[in-house]
Amino acid sequence: MSGTIVEGRHVGENRTLTPEFCIIGSGAAGGVCALKLAEAGFDVLVLEEGPNIPKEKGPAPGQERKMLNEREAEMYKLLYQEGATRLTNNGGVKVLQGRCLGGGTAVNWSACLPPRLETLDEWQKRGLPFTRQNLEPYLREVVNYLPIVRNDKYNTSARKFMLGCDRHDLPNENLPNNTHKCRECGSCGVGCPYDRKMSGFVKWLPDAVVLGATIYTDTKVDRLVGSNDRISEVQAHFIDGKTRPTQRKLVVKPTKGVVLAGGAIGTPSILLRSQLDLDKRVGKFTHIHPVTITIGKYPEKTLPAYGVPDNMWTPKFAPGPTGYLIETGSFFPVLSASATLQHGDELHRIMRDYYPTGAISYAHHTTGFDDKEKYGTVELDENGDPQLDYKIPTANVKPMQESLVMMARIHLAAGATSVYIMRNPPLEVKPGDNFDEIRKINFTEPQRASIFTVHVMGGCQMHKDDKRRCVNNDFTFKGKKNLWVVDGSIFPTALGANPQVTIYSLALWAAREICEQNQKPFKLNHQQGGELPWPGY
Amino acid sequence: MAGLLGILNEIAQPKKRAEVIHGKLENLNDKTALILFAVAEAVLGEKFLLKAPKFIETVDDYLNYQRTAQREQFLTALLLAETRIFNFIVGGHPEGFSHMSLAERQKTLEQLRSSKQQQGRNIYAAFVNVSASTYYASELTWPDLGYPGVSVDHPEILNQPPPIPWRPTDPRPIET
Repeated sequence: MSGTIVEGRHVGENRTLTPEFCIIGSGAAGGVCALKLAEAGFDVLVLEEGPNIPKEKGPAPGQERKMLNEREAEMYKLLYQEGATRLTNNGGVKVLQGRCLGGGTAVNWSACLPPRLETLDEWQKRGLPFTRQNLEPYLREVVNYLPIVRNDKYNTSARKFMLGCDRHDLPNENLPNNTHKCRECGSCGVGCPYDRKMSGFVKWLPDAVVLGATIYTDTKVDRLVGSNDRISEVQAHFIDGKTRPTQRKLVVKPTKGVVLAGGAIGTPSILLRSQLDLDKRVGKFTHIHPVTITIGKYPEKTLPAYGVPDNMWTPKFAPGPTGYLIETGSFFPVLSASATLQHGDELHRIMRDYYPTGAISYAHHTTGFDDKEKYGTVELDENGDPQLDYKIPTANVKPMQESLVMMARIHLAAGATSVYIMRNPPLEVKPGDNFDEIRKINFTEPQRASIFTVHVMGGCQMHKDDKRRCVNNDFTFKGKKNLWVVDGSIFPTALGANPQVTIYSLALWAAREICEQNQKPFKLNHQQGGELPWPGY
Repeated sequence: MAGLLGILNEIAQPKKRAEVIHGKLENLNDKTALILFAVAEAVLGEKFLLKAPKFIETVDDYLNYQRTAQREQFLTALLLAETRIFNFIVGGHPEGFSHMSLAERQKTLEQLRSSKQQQGRNIYAAFVNVSASTYYASELTWPDLGYPGVSVDHPEILNQPPPIPWRPTDPRPIET
């Protein structure tokens, strides 16, 4: 029997539910587990803090999701944690995370890379069981189910990047996407209105609902309650369209267990509110990929908003514990304005100079491989809300400077007349300039440059060291037999790649563990052959 | 934080501005709306409301989505900027931010931007980010940027040939 989606904002009374499994979070990991557990015949309930994204025809041709109108001002506040204004405690890094049906999959730029081999090797040193070989069936399932394709509709940022890389003899490759017949509106980051990005709310979650799963949106989990080695209750409350409590509560009493998939800030915060902090291990060793950004200004109009945002990259600088991935994207007025760190006439000049003729490239930086570093910590503030204490590791400063230099070189080789570096104060590099000023940027001091992250990982590690381990290798939370943690919070290091494919694959592995531990069959249904779309990576 | 907010709100006496007319507010009040206007004018220039007429209401609504502590930090920063002692320390002007001339306010922003104190730079970033992103969210500013707008309003912009042809014989595989 088909399940349903219940919008918590409209629930007018307190409710108690008794599913077999309660999955917390509907992002990459939550969606996978919802489908696979429903497929195995379990009665599944998914709780999502953010809003539903209903399927309804909009006014534009082909528009499936009327609510997704691509307007940044409206979409960021609806679809992102804290209205896309989440910052690290010191204000130094903007943390963009999804908060809606589908979580991060609803708002990411559709880039699909597998886990780096080098990262998997590091994880094995830390006792994790994953290799590229034993992950292959899960990766294949993800590739075929979504599907993941090589989409060569390159936008102007990608084309300029290819040209600049070619002129520097740098390898530049297609970055596979989970798009299908993309309409090139460029709005992946504010939710695809045409259902052409195969996000959670297009694939995993509707398929789970068809198999009987129930999803509650606008439902914020307060805490898990239990005794000894079991969780017996999930306490939650409903929130309205502006994230305020409606005064209505939800109590879930799952008969088989709880699956935590709230992401690397959400999951630790629920555990901390539940006082399941394992001697203060939960929330520790949280990692991000700090992102440095450049905008090249070109002689011709570029329409930088449109096109597939993220389908071109260079793997050249990815290797190593502090390597970086340079990728290309789309950019929009609000996103641009929020990063300029400029005021007065200069603000408007920069916007008018760089927006119409701009092309963007940015670099995700790998962190987290040094066991002596503390990296980030998820904590609760005085109101019980999560906050991330994070400082840019000193080992990443030079690579961050160098990624800016390299991106500037690529832009200039592609014909840019200047390159905007989001330093404070802003810096423009022109042909013939040296890059000395870039190499002086002190990223360890907040607000010396605009730094973003869209990937948060760790905080609830799988690890062989008993003093670090929060999650066992079978994805159970330490000391709780019916609590599984399946999202990116289990990563012991940052990934060094866009994480959605890895999270999908590990969540499939986790779903298999859950099914086996509960004596139900688990099956991968999309194992047809063919090469995976990442030769050589 | 809430106690400090109350005290700062009590002592704040921002300059009245005829331009600041707003609807019902949920997070800002009459005082913080006036200070926000003074901040935004320093970031965006005079007459910015012509292109972002709902600026105050938009920021006020956005504050709903922030976590409580962060919202309070922003309101505290606004009210702190209106204290004489703050502006005296930052730039030697012993008057509230909203009472300064536009040039003085922009100079204060410049001093916050280059502050050795992290808090000073964070206040600068908060003021600039909120003002600039709210302003450029307004569709009236988009023609200045050559931004045609979103595709759901302009389906004709979809599936057009990209403006810069490149590698027409590119052998890279195409989605099937």
